[in-house]
Amino acid sequence: MKGRHFREWSVAAVLGLVLAALAVSAPDFYQPRQLAAMLTETAPILLLACGMSLVILCRQIDISVGSQFAVCGVAAGLMAQQGTPMPVVAVVSVLSGAAFGAFNGMLVAGLGLPSIVVTLATMVTWREALRWWREGEYVRDLPTGFQWFGLSQELGQGTLLAIAVCIFLGLAVALRHLAGGRYIYAVGSDAEAARLAGINPRWITFGVFVLMGALAGLAALVSAVRFPDVDPKAGTGHELRAIAAAVVGGVAITGGRGNLWGVLAGALLLAIIAPALVFWGAPPQWERAIQGGIILTAVAADGWRKRKEPR
Amino acid sequence: MKIAWKQIVWRPETLLLAVFVAEFVIFAQTGNNFTSTSNLFEIARLSVTIGLLALAMTPVILTGGIDLSVGSLLGLCAVCFGKLWRDFGLPPLLAAVCTLVIGALAGGLNAALITRLRLPPLIVTLGSYSLFRGLAEALTRGVDNFTGFPASFLFLGQGYLFGVIPAQVPIFLAAAIAIWLLVHCTVFGRSYRAIGFSPEGARFAGLPVESRIASVYLLSGVMAAVAALIYVAHVGQAKADAGSGFELLAVTAVVLGGTSIFGGVGTVQGTVLGLGVLAVLRNGLFMSDQPSELANILTGALLLFILAGGVAVEKLSALRARRSAPVPPLSHE
Amino acid sequence: MNRRRALATLLAAAAASATGCKKQENAVAGGGGEMLTVAFLPKSKGNAYFVACKKGADEAAKELGIKLLYEGPTEPDPARQNEIVEQWIQRGVDVIAAACENKEGIATALRKAREKGIKVVTYDADTLPDARDFFCNQATPQGIAQALMEESAKAVGGQGEYAIITASLTASNMNEWQKHIAETNAQRFPEMKQIALRPCDDLKDKAFAEATALVNANSNLKLIMAICSPAVPGSAEAVKQAGKTESVKVVGLGLPNENRRYVKEGVTPSVILWNVGDLGYLTIQAAVAVSKGSLKQGDTAFSAGRLGELKIDGSDIVLGKPFVFTKDNIDQFDF
Repeated sequence: MKGRHFREWSVAAVLGLVLAALAVSAPDFYQPRQLAAMLTETAPILLLACGMSLVILCRQIDISVGSQFAVCGVAAGLMAQQGTPMPVVAVVSVLSGAAFGAFNGMLVAGLGLPSIVVTLATMVTWREALRWWREGEYVRDLPTGFQWFGLSQELGQGTLLAIAVCIFLGLAVALRHLAGGRYIYAVGSDAEAARLAGINPRWITFGVFVLMGALAGLAALVSAVRFPDVDPKAGTGHELRAIAAAVVGGVAITGGRGNLWGVLAGALLLAIIAPALVFWGAPPQWERAIQGGIILTAVAADGWRKRKEPR
Repeated sequence: MKIAWKQIVWRPETLLLAVFVAEFVIFAQTGNNFTSTSNLFEIARLSVTIGLLALAMTPVILTGGIDLSVGSLLGLCAVCFGKLWRDFGLPPLLAAVCTLVIGALAGGLNAALITRLRLPPLIVTLGSYSLFRGLAEALTRGVDNFTGFPASFLFLGQGYLFGVIPAQVPIFLAAAIAIWLLVHCTVFGRSYRAIGFSPEGARFAGLPVESRIASVYLLSGVMAAVAALIYVAHVGQAKADAGSGFELLAVTAVVLGGTSIFGGVGTVQGTVLGLGVLAVLRNGLFMSDQPSELANILTGALLLFILAGGVAVEKLSALRARRSAPVPPLSHE
Repeated sequence: MNRRRALATLLAAAAASATGCKKQENAVAGGGGEMLTVAFLPKSKGNAYFVACKKGADEAAKELGIKLLYEGPTEPDPARQNEIVEQWIQRGVDVIAAACENKEGIATALRKAREKGIKVVTYDADTLPDARDFFCNQATPQGIAQALMEESAKAVGGQGEYAIITASLTASNMNEWQKHIAETNAQRFPEMKQIALRPCDDLKDKAFAEATALVNANSNLKLIMAICSPAVPGSAEAVKQAGKTESVKVVGLGLPNENRRYVKEGVTPSVILWNVGDLGYLTIQAAVAVSKGSLKQGDTAFSAGRLGELKIDGSDIVLGKPFVFTKDNIDQFDF
């Protein structure tokens, strides 16, 4: 029974090892403010990784989430600047993300276009349009109710983490226990078989992209409220972080296999590298190489295990 | 000998050529000095680096795979070349050869993970995308920028043959012809499309699928190294961030050129044309004093249009065919 | 099927190209037409500092009746700068005004431009002297370094450990400032010690991350000296969120708008800069004057429109002295 989740457990074990090593050699890492800062920075990535996992489970990919993230963040900031109350801002952010997701979904599920090329095109288009529009300008002069939702820093960080945890748990439970979750696994394993079983793969695929977009919008909001102004360059590289977290966490790119708990472990493991390097006094330029190494090791381990299984 | 005109005119590459011509006509009107000979050669010169990557990307995509690590590998090779030349004192020629070997080894890593461990190319090359870039950053400590290369080397990227033709253009032409021959004329290369169309079918037909797939990633790695050398010669500097985003431009050129991302369908001449369409679009807009953001947006929009338009048109004609069919088909597919 | 696909694609591409060109203004052939064309190259397009420079440049362009082209890399990227310069040479412009990310890297392209008869001026960050006609400097590197050290010393009482956050470790002008900072440190403020030098790639959130790490890992740190404009608000926010506003101060080269809130809160006691719009204005004035021949080698003074007479030191036109923004005067400025 444990063998089924061996992958997720091994990632969690590696994470545990790193945390233990830090506790011994650099206990400063565990200062509450430092931990809080690191966790709030990882929360948006976790949300993105959850959405990405669902997309990958359906055998698709979405590399436009970084650009969606940036646009939704700026939109949220602009609305807040106009004095819109924060709950409305949150809804707008999520809905605009969902709209971007729907556009991707229409092209992928509706027209059957390959998701890598579609999301490549939308990634470039939204990103460049945002750059052209904002010229790199921050959204400034936001009302005090924006940063940390108007709460103190501690309460605000707690709220962000609570939101992220709730959404994560909700998704994890829904994926396992709701019929819709089962359909996602079915479509990812074998779309034709799913169709014959009465599931509509196109609607599932469309829905997954919309959900990804909505999560991108939420992640943008959760990330933006950490600062008093909104940076249009935020979100650069987030799509890769999300995919990396999903893949390291055991979600198979061939679809149909994986769960969100592994993704949580993967996201934390990848997020911990940079601060760990700083606290260990190691040259920080090794961060990206180490991340690449972890991804390849995780993927190679998957492949090695698959080899041993009967074909 | 009767020439089958109809077959020549209505091929997919012809329509791309028409788009190419249309861009030319438009930008000749709106651009400053767009049609001058020197600008045309300049367009060619600026596209060589991406062009080499796109040429190597074509067989990769034909086999149904993808190589997202070429941009990072270009950066890594550029930095290795700089280090070999400056810190190890190797003469540029020897350093270049070593760089090609490094490119081959990197491509070999991708190939091994994909063929030996049967891992999906998207994920493997995503991992090596981070790994190669990370190694480049680590080697230079994020800092170093190798400059001051000897003029004889810089000629490769900055010099002109007969005063007019940029030095790297013949290299690109040679590579284009070589890859075209490989993919379209050799038995070895023609297997790529078969493998992309159906790997299992190819295996049952007796093709050595694994070694053919490995060959395309090896080629991709070597080509990234060649592109790195030309790039460094062109800009006169080697930094760890060289080649950022190049992989996506290469994929765009290949897909625009009519190669299916799922594999099995596509041509090298399509890639060259796709490259030309892209390069002319960007240069024409620049010469028309339009911001680079617009060029990028139109590139993305063009990609979507071409893909969506093709599928929409296919579905329309299928619909029409079904409507006009006298008897509904009895057997299922 | 192929035919229809051909038509669809042809129409699509033609429409795409046509919509792109709808917005462009009258294109005058550069170099020979009525209107002078000046090409303005920032280090990076999205940086608020260069956007502010451009505003001044636009003002001068309007005043002098010339056409201003503006293009640059999205992030500091010397290779992309070279590419843009080469394309401008192809297009044909009268003057190129460039802020050079890498001194030597861009020199070849700029020399080529000069050979083709295009005048070259640099601003904010210079290239090799033989690759340009004039350099519009905002302040001397020594002046900038001294102002930074003085304000830093003032903020921490003349002694303590500090860290520098810069844009990239290969940016030539920042390296020069660092050199003078080290000199001034050794000569005038020996009790201050520099313990770290970190790049932030000209990104505010990377500066935030670096500053957070620095502040948390070094308990004796008293000051962060942020010498690239996004790093100043980034570091201040990091210090604030780390809860160390009492023990760590931030000083740097930043824009008043971005730092107003931190200056008023006391996290950032002072921000040093110059009138960035004026720098852009001066650059265009100089560019046009060089092109017309009214500004040439050997001149010792230059009359720059509304800025009046400015001194020329060799081939450097200096805007003036660095300006210190504190909470007393920061409200008077809007850029």
